[in-house]
This record gives sequence, C-alpha cells and structure tokens, in this order.
Amino acid sequence: MTTALLSVSDLAVTYRTQAGLVAAVDGVNLEVPAGAMLGLVGESGCGKTTLARALMGVLPGNARVSRGRIVLDGTDLQALSAAKRRALLWRDISFVPQSSMNSLDPVYRMRTQMREVLCGRGDLSRGAADTRAADLFQAVGLNPVRLNDFPHQFSGGMRQRAAIALALALHPKLVIADEPVTALDVIVQRQVLDMLRRLGEDMNLTAIFVTHDIAVVAYLCTVTAVMYAGRIVEYGPTADVLARPAHPYTMGLMNAFPDLEGPTQDLAPIEGSPPDLHTPPTGCRFAARCPFVQPVCTTTYPAPTDVAPDHWAACHRVGEAETLRAQATEAATWQS
Amino acid sequence: MAELIAAANLTKHYPTSRTTRQMLRGERPVVRAVDGIDLVIQRGESVGLVGESGSGKTTVGRLLLKLTEASGGTLNFDGAAVSGLSGDSLRRFRQQAQLVFQNPFDSVNPRFTIRRAVAEPLINTGVPRAERDGRIAEAMRLVHLGDFHRYADKHPSELSGGQLQRVVLARALVGRPSFLVADEPVSMLDVSVRAGILNLMRELRDRLGLTALYISHDLTLVRYVCERTLVMYLGRIVEDGPTSEVISRPAHPYTQALIKAVPRPRTDQSREDLPISGGLANAVSPPSGCRLRDRCPYAFARCAQEVPALLEVAPGHRAACHLTSPANAAAA
Repeated sequence: MTTALLSVSDLAVTYRTQAGLVAAVDGVNLEVPAGAMLGLVGESGCGKTTLARALMGVLPGNARVSRGRIVLDGTDLQALSAAKRRALLWRDISFVPQSSMNSLDPVYRMRTQMREVLCGRGDLSRGAADTRAADLFQAVGLNPVRLNDFPHQFSGGMRQRAAIALALALHPKLVIADEPVTALDVIVQRQVLDMLRRLGEDMNLTAIFVTHDIAVVAYLCTVTAVMYAGRIVEYGPTADVLARPAHPYTMGLMNAFPDLEGPTQDLAPIEGSPPDLHTPPTGCRFAARCPFVQPVCTTTYPAPTDVAPDHWAACHRVGEAETLRAQATEAATWQS
Repeated sequence: MAELIAAANLTKHYPTSRTTRQMLRGERPVVRAVDGIDLVIQRGESVGLVGESGSGKTTVGRLLLKLTEASGGTLNFDGAAVSGLSGDSLRRFRQQAQLVFQNPFDSVNPRFTIRRAVAEPLINTGVPRAERDGRIAEAMRLVHLGDFHRYADKHPSELSGGQLQRVVLARALVGRPSFLVADEPVSMLDVSVRAGILNLMRELRDRLGLTALYISHDLTLVRYVCERTLVMYLGRIVEDGPTSEVISRPAHPYTQALIKAVPRPRTDQSREDLPISGGLANAVSPPSGCRLRDRCPYAFARCAQEVPALLEVAPGHRAACHLTSPANAAAA
C-alpha cells in the first residue's frame, strides 16, 4: 500500500435535528490506496452511509461537513465549488446503491439511462455511448440485448449488475457501493461478488464497500475499516484485521458472526447498544459495551496505534490485544 | 415422538394475469408457489426451511398457519384436518399456532404500549383481564425482558431492534402455543444483536420443547437453531435431513451450491465458481422433470422426463435427485 487515492482526515458530518446537532461522523481518518477494495464495516447507525454520502458530496439538506478534509487524487474536494463538486459525480466518484430500484428510473429503458450518464456526463456521442453500454453490460454479465428493457423486467441480481455497469460507465477513480449485495439471495449474491472481484482485477478498480457483513468483506475486500459510533476504530489489510483483530469491537463482531463451520455453541452477542450521538461519551465510544474497559477509557479517546504494518486500532489496550483476543472468544466475557 | 404436523401433497397455486390469447383459449396460468410437498414435523422438533426468494418457503409457513388456503393436498395439525377448522376449533388453532414476523418495526402497532401489544393474543382468546398481567410478565421473562415494568408502558419507538424482536417473540409465546413459525426472525437485525436472538431461540427450544419452523434464506442461521433442515427449490422440497448432515454432506446439487455460495468470515476461503449457473426459473411454467435441470451441471436425459422423488440417501436424510439417491441410481 503506497499511494492513497483517497485520503480523509478528521472528517466530521453534523446533522441538524429537532433534538440538536448530531455528529454522525466525528473525526474520521481513512486512506484508500489506489487499486484497493476497502470494506467499511459497522452496525446500523454507526455513520457508514453518512460517510459515504459525504465523500460523494450528496449529503441531505440538514447535514453538512463541519470539519476535516477529503482529498481525492490530489484534489481537496471540500475546496471545490458545489457545481465543480457535482461535476465529479459519475466521472470521478460513482455510486452503487443498496436497492438498485432506487437508482434506476422505472420509466426509462436501460439504454436511455446509460446514455444519460455516458453522453450527459461523459460527452460521448450516441453511437459511442451505445457501444460502450454494450461493453459494460457484457462486463457485468448481462446480455447487451437487455439494454432495451426497463428495470422492472430485470431480476434483483440483474438490476444490481445494471447499477454496477452504470457506476463503471465513465471509468471513475473511485466507486462507492452501499450494501451492494445485501438485498440479494446467497447464490445471486455470490455471482455478483465474483463479478465484482473479476472487475476489480481487470479494471484495477478502487472501491469502498459499505456493509455490515464481515463475510462479504472477507470474500472481496483487500482492506478493512471498522466503524463505530461515527469513528473508524480499526483499519488494516483484511486478512490481518480478521485474523488478529486488535479492537475489542472488531473482536466482538467476529464472535457474534455466525459461521457455516465449526461448533454451534452459543454465539457471543455484544450487549447494549451504540451510544446516543446527541451526547457522545467522552473517551472511547465503545467503553460502555466493552468487556475490557479500564478507567482511562471513559476519560480519553484512544489515539490510533499501529499494531502491524498498515494496521492500526484506536484502543488503550492495544498492546494486550493478543490476551484480549483469547478472552474475547469466550461467550462469558461478553455477558455483563 | 408424535406428529404435530403432517402435510401430504400440499399445494398452493396463485392465479396470475392472463394475456388476451390465454383468455380466449380459456387458459388459467398459475404461479406454482408450493407444488406438492410432503412434510411431517414431530412434536418438539425445530425444523429449518431454507431457500431463495421465490422458492415458496414463506407460502409454506402461511399454509401451515392457515393464513392462506391450500389449493390441494391435505394438512393435519395435531391429528385434525386444518381445512376443516372453523369457529371455536379455528380459534383454538390460532392460539396453538403462532407466527413471528421478520421485521419487528412493522409488526408491532406503533401506537400500542408494549403491554398492550403482548396482550393482543390473550385478548383475542378471551383470557380474563385479571390473569393477563401475570401471563405477560411470564412471557417477557422467557425472552429476557424480565424487568417487565420497565418496558410495559413504553412504545415500540422507544425500544431497540433487538428488544423489539424479543417483544415480538413474547407476543407469540404469551398464548402458550405448541407450534411457532418464525419467518426470517433475525434478518433485519444487526450482527451484534442477532447473536442474542439466536441464542434466545435455542434456549426457548430447549426449555419449552416448542415445535417450530424457522424460515430463512441463510443456512448459517438455521444451523444454530434447528436440528433438521429442509431445502426448497421452486415450490418443491429437494433435500431434508439433520442440519449437520445437510451442511457437511449435501446430497442435492442445489444444496451443494447454496452451501458453496455462503461467504465465510475469513480471507482464506474457497472462491471457486459455483456449480450451478443462472437464476431461478419461472414458477408459472417451471422446467419439466427436475426443476433445477436447466441450471444443474449434472443434468442428463432422465432429469427432463421424470420428477425425482424425495428418497433416502442416508438414515433420516433424503434428497430429490436422480443422481444422488441410491434407489434412483440403481434404477438408472
């Protein structure tokens, strides 16, 4: 991992709500190396989607970036005007949503929607656009004949493939996919994952996959970032993070995750729920649920600490990670 | 063990829209959601029903609960034909057989307090008011919301997803049912919470000796709760056996693919191509013979001609495949 294509530093996104300001993303530091597939993992409400939308510059009206920098391939995105920022969409940053029904327009044929991106955003001629669209459909495993169809004529998996084809249309530098396979059945999910893996290798894609499914990250992603309550708590090469998690939250997620192999003893749930971000706790945000909590954890936020090459975790007890890992595998540890 | 549920050739066809030509010809095309399944569930058994969207698994659950009427076949609950239930006998059946919904946020009335929501089955079955609070507290204890008075007067919006799913379970249990159908009971929940609900369902199975059908698209989850698993494909049961056997020695090519397709939470996993290709065939005009044959790498002539029967491949383990069942293989 040498050059970062995307580098995010101390990013904070604040929502204005009736109950006051909420920082859904609060001090995120993240690097996405060129050519990497980064898995962004976390529970609902931890700020994954807000972070993804902030990167694209498409936050809802009551949210704004209140702090921090987003640098894509040397360009500081926060310094750009709104119009320039919008112009980056599809060309430099593209998006695959969870439910592609939301991104595909039901009243237009796929060909029209492809043209809209290719001609409207990419300045291709109609003929060139149609050729490119056919190539893209082929690449994602769809028959180019289906370009004449409407989205409702596609199955769920096909729709997701079409949404991926759209996202890849203009060779974007970065693709952000929000739960791209969550709504799919296992077999279809696997087919789409295999296709993404192949595309990643063939096109040297840089992508961020937002997901709550560790297994999907393990299958597809080279780098993993674990998010909790608006912050990244652990980051590193996927193999290393999953085999040697250094943050207790990551350990907890791994233990709670059901597997198809191994003994079926009780899974260890992480008791409690994430903190209310209207009044975020001082200190480590996982402290209230962490079985390894110490006094310092409730007063000071732990600085990210390296545990291996390119692998860091934000935990005060990161030096004892090996001992904690052993304890974390026992369900009793997690019972409060 | 005695049979609680016995279904034979159970069928559910839904009428679908017709083209003008079909109308003129008098054709009535149907979606064969459930197309002749035989199913016996013993008392105290936890059975998992696994399949993709469109395989008919939810329809089976609805048929077993008499939430939809079968188009054909027979279904007995505790020795009595379900189709013949009405009036008092139907009310007793409704109390005996309960459903746990997938999405807790959609299945609890947002205006009800938790006490009122859990009381619903008691009110419907005419349990006297004086007994209700005790019964509700008992059900809440079972789902580990023992501190009942803390939750009783809250509304669903004040509870977390995990707590609310426990309330949904309590509501299903409050009438002391003998049979539970849980349709994707944890698929809406976060991983950290899901584990707690799975553990709870195991515990309820062991403590109450409940008979249950868990419907899920995810074998991984079924594995934690069910000792027996059924696999459905396009309206038919293609495999039936002890869960550990089905996972470690899947006999049907479809089950093999299902198991291979599940991503594992570690990086050193097989990324081989799946043995089956394509997607689910159309349930209006499914392929003749074996319904998987157009996607199956092992399909041969007989698969198109003859519907494979569900036959034993090992003790207590059956599969519907011409290739893997010994009786079928011997005849071929």
